[in-house]
Amino acid sequence: MYSLFIDTHNELIKIILFKDGKILTDKEKMSNMQHSVYTMPMIEEILKENNIESSNLNEIIVVNGPGSFTGVRIGVTIAKTMAYLLNIPIKSIDTLKMQALLINKDKKIVIENEKNGKYLGIFDKNNNVIQKYKYMKNSEFEEFIKDNVIDEVKIDYEKLYEKLKDEQNINPHAVNPLYIKVIEVLK
Amino acid sequence: MKDVNILAIESSCDETSMAIIKNGCEVVSLTILTQMDTHAEFGGVVPEIASRMHTENITMVLDETLKKASLSKEDIDAIAVTYAPGLLGSLLVGLECAKTIAFVWNKPLIKVNHTIGHIYANNLIKKMQFPLLALIVSGGHTDMVIMKDDYEFEILGSTLDDSIGEVYDKVARVLGLKYPGGPNVEKMALNGACSYDLPKPVNDNTYNFSFSGLKSAVINLIHNEEQRNHEIRKEDLACSFQTIAIDELVRKVELALKNTGIKNMIIAGGVSANKYLREQMKILCEKYNVDLTVPDLIYCTDNAAMIGAAAYPLYLKKEFCGLDTNASSQISIKYYDTSKRD
Repeated sequence: MYSLFIDTHNELIKIILFKDGKILTDKEKMSNMQHSVYTMPMIEEILKENNIESSNLNEIIVVNGPGSFTGVRIGVTIAKTMAYLLNIPIKSIDTLKMQALLINKDKKIVIENEKNGKYLGIFDKNNNVIQKYKYMKNSEFEEFIKDNVIDEVKIDYEKLYEKLKDEQNINPHAVNPLYIKVIEVLK
Repeated sequence: MKDVNILAIESSCDETSMAIIKNGCEVVSLTILTQMDTHAEFGGVVPEIASRMHTENITMVLDETLKKASLSKEDIDAIAVTYAPGLLGSLLVGLECAKTIAFVWNKPLIKVNHTIGHIYANNLIKKMQFPLLALIVSGGHTDMVIMKDDYEFEILGSTLDDSIGEVYDKVARVLGLKYPGGPNVEKMALNGACSYDLPKPVNDNTYNFSFSGLKSAVINLIHNEEQRNHEIRKEDLACSFQTIAIDELVRKVELALKNTGIKNMIIAGGVSANKYLREQMKILCEKYNVDLTVPDLIYCTDNAAMIGAAAYPLYLKKEFCGLDTNASSQISIKYYDTSKRD
């Protein structure tokens, strides 16, 4: 069972090919604001290096944000198009829950860095969202950390894959970015 | 020769569109999903919202386009996509979708310039005969171009300031009309008379255009009338503006037709949907015995059918691009001007 993991939510593009939950190849590249130039070639390379065709893929996992709006859209567009064409299951995971899934605590407070601020997620033991995701400017975050401790975790992707087994597959048409931050015109 | 079917994608502004085009001229299937109503609430296209909506809808538009054509993936010969010019975030969604299809189906990828797409919309009506004179009129362009062959462009003249589409939109705004401005000015002008005296654009004999003076004149006129508490006859002002603006386009086309002796004429771009322009061009071309082609209205606004048509000559020349292709907001048709190349 081959699974393709696509993460373009920030400067570091990450593409992983799993076989039965074990990492075959893990590729990373700095996007330099050009996710479009690197992402598809990285996917092409990772399959080629493992001598498989896209038609051999059994599953897509995509990180749907929050993060760089354009970056996330590129990963999500590739992922949903691929899942639709190949008619294979697709799962999406956000950058906050991704961390929460790998932390063992009764209450988990995690953040995702952004240029001028942080995205904040607070979860319970079972990874249910306790407080709606929100975006904080750096100044607001400074206040927040006076009374709170942020949980940090280095993502172990094989563990993450294991945790994601319980997540539901989604219809490819319904896979969409998670933006959180409200844009000016909608305020 | 075997039929060539190209699956084309267009997402440069606020339309998510896909089409399958046979041999560069026949529309096998076409889907256009417009976001116009959403953007109308904001008085114009909001780029971030446009990009978001493209991402939400892209696979559904693909699904519908494929289902409408009774073709299988084996029947598709290439994937074409608009890569420039346009809103960067919007272009990228269509581009990444196109790359993914090209990769998964193992088909060549063809990048198409949006403006050139507008020109090739004419091939969907009647195969373009060369040499021809093209008038490109849109929100981004006001150009006269000579084409000696497929993808052989020689820019004869351009606007020195605002594009005709921009001026229509600005006039729409000062007349209190909603987005999309151009078609609304045109509708309003239908009920008006040419009773306002507006200055004619520079009456020179170059092939260039200038519309900023006319734009300022309309704004100033409204301003002055308001200060004097005079009521503005909006219909008349719309009509006066449109007549001067379009007549100027037609006058420069006449100059070019006279001087070059070219007997084939096409109009392209969003403003080519303007009925007054279409009528005036018809009269002019009859006078000079010039064969005029204008795209059907559905192909005047942004659509993927024209991208498939414009991709066909590139397919024949095997001008394919890689999965590392990037989008660009800027690249105008001037980049393709063959007369300025070594």
